[in-house]
Amino acid sequence: MTDNNLMLGVKAGNLEKMGLLFERYHRVLFAFLYHSTGQAATSEDLVQTAFYRMLKYRHTFSGEGEFRTWMYHIARNVLTDHAKKNQRVVYREDIQKLSEQSAFTPAIDKQLEKSEENTALHQALAQLSPEYREVLVLSRFQELSYQEIATILATSEGNIKVRVHRAMKELKQLYLKQNS
Amino acid sequence: MKLDNHPVEEWDDEDKALWEELGNLSTPTPSAESRIRFYAMLDTFQEEAQKENLWDKLVGQWNRVFTPKTSKWAYALLLLIAGAGLGYFSGKYSPNKNEEAMVASEDKVEKLSTEVQKMREVMMLSMLENPMATERLKAVSYTQELNTVDDRVIDALLTTLNFDQNENVRLVTLEALIQLGHNPKVREGLVQSLLHQESPLMQVALADAMVKLQEKRSVKQFKQLLKKNNLNNAVKGKIEKTIQVLS
Repeated sequence: MTDNNLMLGVKAGNLEKMGLLFERYHRVLFAFLYHSTGQAATSEDLVQTAFYRMLKYRHTFSGEGEFRTWMYHIARNVLTDHAKKNQRVVYREDIQKLSEQSAFTPAIDKQLEKSEENTALHQALAQLSPEYREVLVLSRFQELSYQEIATILATSEGNIKVRVHRAMKELKQLYLKQNS
Repeated sequence: MKLDNHPVEEWDDEDKALWEELGNLSTPTPSAESRIRFYAMLDTFQEEAQKENLWDKLVGQWNRVFTPKTSKWAYALLLLIAGAGLGYFSGKYSPNKNEEAMVASEDKVEKLSTEVQKMREVMMLSMLENPMATERLKAVSYTQELNTVDDRVIDALLTTLNFDQNENVRLVTLEALIQLGHNPKVREGLVQSLLHQESPLMQVALADAMVKLQEKRSVKQFKQLLKKNNLNNAVKGKIEKTIQVLS
């Protein structure tokens, strides 16, 4: 059964079908929120909120577009609300933990070196502006096409291409700064 | 040239290497509790939706009983009642010269009361973090003074219920949460809390709470609890009775 058919079923009142959509997408959504916030526990809460909102606002799903696009719309709103509520730049605790771990670990073998590189990259991603981080997370971790991202962010494919390009340039600079 | 479906003609080797590295960043997997929480939320949502359907049916019945012919009389009656009500209140609160001043002072009072409510909430949340159990007990009792309880307070109370080291604090928190039993999040939290509690006293108190709230979803958790090897015999008997009552 396609995602759209399942969601239309939910809209028609078969709410239990949301269970199947949860099984299909909760990990993907968690990854999106985790790479956007850098906080695993918070991301789990936000996944719950996103699925709750999908149930609550099921009537807004028309079935004309892809379910995935609609789902990301909702997840982005959840993320924005979370950031507003906390009134601070999200993306903190877990990244800090990673940083502390690597600071006290002597990088004597390649695995540890790799872990340090990962931490530096995580931190560089954390310092990126939310606008740039979002397009990188959607394109790299969620593997969405530029066209799909453009639909989610209500802009043109060309804009997304430029934004990804700029985001990569900025990320590179931040990453080099972390490593230096 | 394309990399993972993304055109990257203008990218240099460093960009491509970074893109590759970005893809290798680890992502943790969501915990098993995440699934349990989702299905508990779905259950609650379905129950609420069923109640809403009942309301829709009642409206449908109304429409069937009051056909276009009879509805004229029904609406006339409704209008009459509304008119009488309006007349009563307009007579009681007739406009006067000080009306604007009254509205302004009402606004001020409302604003002040909202601020007091916020202050109480902040005070209560900070007291819950206090290392002294007596302070935490006071904090829990303050919830009764809050006019509205938001998610932040509920989360704080549920965390106290599950993780506070002092049993008395946990018991008082349970009492406070039972008072908020109309809230779906509280009910869900109480059901989930069953598996967190190790003390027999708390297990029995939660069993009583579930009966009081008639929370049938807890049966599953109780059955799971019964499988524990170190379960107190008295608690075992209590849980078996509770399952019978709720089933």
